[in-house]
Amino acid sequence: MEEVRQKGLSTRGIVTSGVLGAIAIFLGASRLGFIPMPTGINATIMHVPAIIGGILEGPVVGGLIGMIFGIYSFAQATTPMFKDPIVAIVPRIFIGIVAAWAYAAARPAGEWWGIAIAAIVGTATNTVLVLWLGVVRHYLPAKVAVTVGLTHGIPEIIVAVIVSLAVLLFWKRVQTGQARARV
Amino acid sequence: MSEFELLRNITIGQYLPTGSYLHRLVCLLGACAAIVRLGRIPLSYALRGLIPAIPFLVILAVLQLLLFGRNFDPASPVIFQWGWVVVTAAVGRVVLISAARFVELLIVTSVFTLSTRITELTHGIESLLGLFRRLRVPAHELALVVAIAVRFVPTIALQAERLLKAQASRGGGLGHTRWNFVATTRRLLPVLVPLFIFALKRGEELIVAMEARAYMGGEGRTAYRIFQATPADWVAPLAALAFLIAMLRAPFPF
Repeated sequence: MEEVRQKGLSTRGIVTSGVLGAIAIFLGASRLGFIPMPTGINATIMHVPAIIGGILEGPVVGGLIGMIFGIYSFAQATTPMFKDPIVAIVPRIFIGIVAAWAYAAARPAGEWWGIAIAAIVGTATNTVLVLWLGVVRHYLPAKVAVTVGLTHGIPEIIVAVIVSLAVLLFWKRVQTGQARARV
Repeated sequence: MSEFELLRNITIGQYLPTGSYLHRLVCLLGACAAIVRLGRIPLSYALRGLIPAIPFLVILAVLQLLLFGRNFDPASPVIFQWGWVVVTAAVGRVVLISAARFVELLIVTSVFTLSTRITELTHGIESLLGLFRRLRVPAHELALVVAIAVRFVPTIALQAERLLKAQASRGGGLGHTRWNFVATTRRLLPVLVPLFIFALKRGEELIVAMEARAYMGGEGRTAYRIFQATPADWVAPLAALAFLIAMLRAPFPF
């Protein structure tokens, strides 16, 4: 007798991608995922589920969550730049993949550093790839892209690090049964 | 109380069951049919999705109209001149075309989601990706991921509402201070952290439930409902193709 094994994505991978993808959609739809900034534009944390998925379940799940985020931002877009699937969807797939790699690389330095570096690298991937494709496909002049990248990308990195650390450190405690409510 | 109603004003992703021809098409073909006609969705409802895009459209059109001037296709005749503002026929054409293209894209995507059930969408994704099965694309799994994501959005929205109310009843609010985004983020954490934990816990329960029912992925899996394309379903993509060819052939009115 030969054992029959599940091929491709695991059940865990499918479900985790689904629920975290749902959070990404929800953060966008409810406007809860937009944090107002002094510059007048909003920093977004919609890509954080992709980073968290990448850290928890690896690059494939991270990539899938990014893809859901991308499809949603494509469907919701009201500017031509994000109505281009190459700008809206493709860069988002890489958020979770790169975050998972960064986590694997930085994990030896400690859980805290692993998560923080994955969040930094994942967010930077999103900002840089989206703006770079925007320039390549002639939606933005290069100078504007650099300015937006600096004024927008750095706060987004800070915000993503705060949220990923809070969620993941708490989730690890829930899983090991150490979680207690603090009031 | 409106601050707690998180799913208001979102036309995308909602389904309007009006039972038109468009609704009855299997999704994959519905995507093409959406380009041809508006189903029986009330026009005002579909157009509401356009409202957020209007300021952008107007600014884009005005800038294009004012700033292109003669540099863009100098050969075309001038139709309007006032001081340094020069509008040529070619510029007028570009403005109209880019605005029309954009409006069309927005309407087509919202008509598609308004007239296609989630289950139909997943069937559509699965059968479209099935074409790539030879390349080992996990069609069934990808369709399931999308289905779970879309299915969980309302559940998560309800939970978020509950969390926001719980925070409000303790006197905690989400006050937005534009000048200190770190403080704003930290104020979001009492809602965000339980929300993620809730979703991940629900995920764990779903994994256990699926594995208890011996879920083994897509291979060899049969479906409860089987969709078969009828001749009526093929009318839509053919009409869309004919429309596309006609549009490519038709000259611009001026």
